[in-house]
Amino acid sequence: MENVCKQALIPRTPTPYVLQLKASAADNTISLISFIAFLMAWEIICRLGIIGPYQLVPPSQLVSTFIMKLTEANPDGGTLFEHTETSLLLALTGFSAAVIIGVPLGLLMGWYKPLDLMVTPVFDAIRPIPPIAWIPLAIIWLGIGLPAKAFIIWLAAFVPCVINSYTGIKLTNPVLTRVAEIYGASRWETFYKVGVPSAIPMVFTGLKLSLNASWTTLVAAELLAASQGLGYLIQMGRRLSRPDIIIVGMLTIGLTGALMSWGLNRIEARFASSKRVKL
Amino acid sequence: MIASGFFKKGSKLFLPLLSVAVCLSIWEVLHLIIGGDFLPSPYQVFKEGLRMFSVKIGGNTVWVHIYYSLRRVVIAYLLGAVTGLPLGMYMGWNRTFDKVVKPVFEVLRPIPPIAWIPIAILWLGIGEGPKIFICYVGAFVIFVLNAYTGMRYTDPLLIAAARTYGASRRQQLFNVAIPASLPSVFAGVQNALSMSWMCVLAAELVGAREGVGYLIIQGMDMYKPPMIMVGMIIIGIIGASLAVTLRWFERLVCPWRRDLT
Repeated sequence: MENVCKQALIPRTPTPYVLQLKASAADNTISLISFIAFLMAWEIICRLGIIGPYQLVPPSQLVSTFIMKLTEANPDGGTLFEHTETSLLLALTGFSAAVIIGVPLGLLMGWYKPLDLMVTPVFDAIRPIPPIAWIPLAIIWLGIGLPAKAFIIWLAAFVPCVINSYTGIKLTNPVLTRVAEIYGASRWETFYKVGVPSAIPMVFTGLKLSLNASWTTLVAAELLAASQGLGYLIQMGRRLSRPDIIIVGMLTIGLTGALMSWGLNRIEARFASSKRVKL
Repeated sequence: MIASGFFKKGSKLFLPLLSVAVCLSIWEVLHLIIGGDFLPSPYQVFKEGLRMFSVKIGGNTVWVHIYYSLRRVVIAYLLGAVTGLPLGMYMGWNRTFDKVVKPVFEVLRPIPPIAWIPIAILWLGIGEGPKIFICYVGAFVIFVLNAYTGMRYTDPLLIAAARTYGASRRQQLFNVAIPASLPSVFAGVQNALSMSWMCVLAAELVGAREGVGYLIIQGMDMYKPPMIMVGMIIIGIIGASLAVTLRWFERLVCPWRRDLT
C-alpha cells in the first residue's frame, strides 16, 4: 500500500502538462486552419504588391519554382537533387569522421585519467572558437574543395561527440563498476562491458547535437566557398535576386535536416532505449 | 620507482603542461617543415597580434571591430529574449495558442539561422540589419523552445495543488508554472548566447566591413594566416568570456539555480 502511494505521488519523469490531455480532432483542425490562414495571408500580401517581387514571392510561385528545380539546372547550375546530394554527402562524411574519432576519444578520456589530463587543456583551448571561424583558415590550407568543408564539418561535429561521451561515461554508476571489479573484471573489461553501455544514452544525445551542428556548419561553409550544394543554391538565389530560389533552398535545408534528425531518433529508439541504464 | 611516484603526484599538473608543450612544439616543427606564412609559428602569431592591435584594419582598430560584433550580438540577444521567452511560455501554457502557432514555427524551426543570411541580405540590405536579424533568429528559436519545454514539463501535480487551493488561472501561471519552468529557460539562455555569437560570425564572414568576422575574412583575402589565427583567438576569448559573464550574472540573478541542476 505504501509503495503504491509513493509511486502515485512521485512521478519518476514529469509528464507534460498538456500532453496528458489527448490531442483531439478539433485541435488538429485549428492547426490546419491557422497554417492555411498563414499561407493565404502570405499569398495576399505578395499579390497586392505590399512586398515587392524581389523580396518575397507568394507560396503558389514557390511550388512552381520547386517543381521546376526538380528537373531544371538553371539558373544556378544544378537540380535540387544534385545540390541536396552534394550537401548530404559532405555533411555525412564530416559527421561520420567526427563520430568515429570523437566518441571513442570522449569515452577513453572519461575512463583513463592521464588521457583526460592530457587532452583536456588542448581541447578546452580549441572549444570556444566556433567551427565557423575556422573557415578562412581551412580555405587557405585546403582550398575550396571537399577537404576544407569536410574538415570544418568534422570540427563542428567533433566537439559535442567528445563532450557527451565524456560526460556519459563519467556518470557511470560507481556501484556497477565496483561490482564488475569484485567479480574480477579487468579495467578494460569494465570499460567496455559496464562503462560504455551505460554511456550510450548520453552518446546518442551527443550524436544528435553533432548532426545539427554539422548541418548548420555545412550551410555556412557552402555560403562562403562552393560550386554546388544547398548553401550555394541559396547564395546564388541572392546574387540573382530570386527570393523563390532562396526560400525553396531554405525549406529543403530545413526538411533535409529534420529528416536526418528523425532518422537518428529512429536508430536511437531501435538500439539505445533497451540498453538504457537507470542512473 | 621514485620517479614514478613523483610522476603520479605531479601528474595532475605535469600532464596538462606536457601536452600543451608537445602541441606547441609539434606546431613549431610543422612550421619549420612547411615554412613561411602558410603555417605561422606561435611566435609569429604573437607578433602579428601585437601588430594588429597597434594599426587600423579596414579603417577601424581591433577594439572597434570587437565593439561592432558585441553590439550586434547584444541587441539581437535581448530582442530574442524579449520576444522569444513570452511566446514560448504562452505556447506552453495555452493549448489553443500552441496549436495556432505550432505549424508555422515547426516549419521554420529546422532551418539553421545561417541559412537565413541570403534572404536577410535581400530583405534588409548589407548594413547592420541582416546581421542583427540572423543573430536574432538564432537566439529567438532557442529561447522559444526552452521556454516552451520548461512550461510543458511543469509537474502537473504542482498546478493541480495550486488549483486545489483555489488559485486563479492567472495565479497558476505566474506563481507556479513560470517559476517551475525557469531551470529549462536558463539552460536556453546560455545556448542562445553562444548561438548568437556563432551567427554574428557567419553573418560577418558573408558580408561586412567591420566586426571580428571581417578580421578573419580580411586575413584570408590578404593571404595572411597569422592574422586569421589572431582573429580566431580573439573570437574564442570573447566567446568564452561571454559565457563566463552570463554564468556569473545567472548566479547573481537566481542563486537557487544551483539546487536545480
